[in-house]
This record gives sequence, C-alpha cells and structure tokens, in this order.
Amino acid sequence: MSELHVSLPAKLTEVRNLSSAVEQFGDENQLPQPTVFVINLALDELITNAVTHGRFDVSDPTIDIHLKADGNIVTLIMEDNGSPFDPTAQDPDDVDTTSSLEDRAVGGLGLHLVKTFAHDMSYEFVDGRNRLTVQHHFKSESE
Amino acid sequence: MNIEVTEEREDGALILLPVGRLDSANARAFESIVMDHIGNDERKLIFDFGRLSFISSSGMRVLLIAAKKLGANEGTIALCNMQDHIEEVFRVSGFDQIIPIRDSRKAALDVS
Repeated sequence: MSELHVSLPAKLTEVRNLSSAVEQFGDENQLPQPTVFVINLALDELITNAVTHGRFDVSDPTIDIHLKADGNIVTLIMEDNGSPFDPTAQDPDDVDTTSSLEDRAVGGLGLHLVKTFAHDMSYEFVDGRNRLTVQHHFKSESE
Repeated sequence: MNIEVTEEREDGALILLPVGRLDSANARAFESIVMDHIGNDERKLIFDFGRLSFISSSGMRVLLIAAKKLGANEGTIALCNMQDHIEEVFRVSGFDQIIPIRDSRKAALDVS
C-alpha cells in the first residue's frame, strides 16, 4: 500500500502543485490515466468548493489531502478546518444538466462531477474538522 | 495564474487552442481572453482541445457563459479534438446537449 499526504493553505492556486504530486503518485503506483484524471478532477472541484464558499473563518485555513492506493482502490481523504459542510448531503437532482442553453444554470456542477465519478463517498465532522472520503475503483492494466 | 491559448483563424472562425490544464487556478484568465474576443464581435468561436490535458467545472463554466453570449447574439460555438476523458466530463454534465462537440476541426467549422 502506498500513501501520499499533502497539507496546503486553502487557496485555488495550490491545486496546481497538488496535481503534480498526484500525477507522480499515479506513476509510482501504476494507476491508469483515467483514474489519475478523476482524482485530480475531484481535488479541483472539492478544493474550489471549499475555498470559494467562504467556509474558512479561521486564521490558518488549511486543507489536508491523503491519497492511498491499495489493490484496485484509490482512497482520497480531504480534511479541512473550515465550518462544517457535508457534500454528500447535496441532492444530485439539484444540478441542472438537462435544460436548454438559455436556461442552463451556470455553476453547481463541481460536486455533481465528483459524485458521478466516485464509487463511494462518506463524510464526517471529527475533532472540529471536515473529513470527506472518496473512493475510486479501477481495473489494473493487466486484467 | 495565466493560461497559454494559441489563436488561429480559419474560414472566418476564430480558433482558440488552450494548452495544458484549464482548472480553477487559471479559469479566470481564460474567461477574460474569451470574453474579450466576444466583446470584439467575434461571432464564430471554435475551441480546439487538441492540446488540452485537463478541465474542471471552473473551465467548463467559461464555455457555458461563452455559448450563452454567442447564442444570444446569433453567434456560433463549437468544440473539437477532445481527449476521451474530457469528452466524458462534458457528457456527464449534459454539455454535449447544448454545445456542439465534433471530432475534427473541419467538422467544427461546418457547425452553423
């Protein structure tokens, strides 16, 4: 089992450094490229969501990312010290993916994408921190 | 954060080729480039994603806004040359129902 832990200030620009670390983690663990893509997509969406919704009323807004590769499952754990927010409680039907171009709502897609590509998602608020766990399953190249 | 966008012109259309990642870090820069072109009366925009490796909803939001603006002004937008994983994100979002996505630039130029 291989693990990656990155602690970063809650800022949008941090997404870049993180994505490089995830690419490297993917190479080291021979993860399929589509899996690395959906993990980076989930990270971009979740961090954007946390940062832009002003959940951080603390002096040191921090996000901790843990990635674990074990067999054919990649587990992503995101912890932050923002106010409590449960992304799994959002109703997927709230997202507009069907109306016409004129009526299509701008925004709200991020969590929908994370949920669609994840195989499992769970949330808890522990010791004053949000903890979101997202799992992706994949088939290894040899299968 | 900036984004490299190559610009080409073909058959009266402006072709924009974003390079690398289009994510939450550079979506604002991309939005400002695209909106400048629409503000300068470009009426046919083609986004060639042949050199795009990653997109998140922050980048897709810019395309939706551009499609709305062009649609309201009898303009045209089309996307082409997407990698499979990027096309899947557009499909899951239902964007493929409202923005034309074509395999080649030639087919994108034929969108009217």
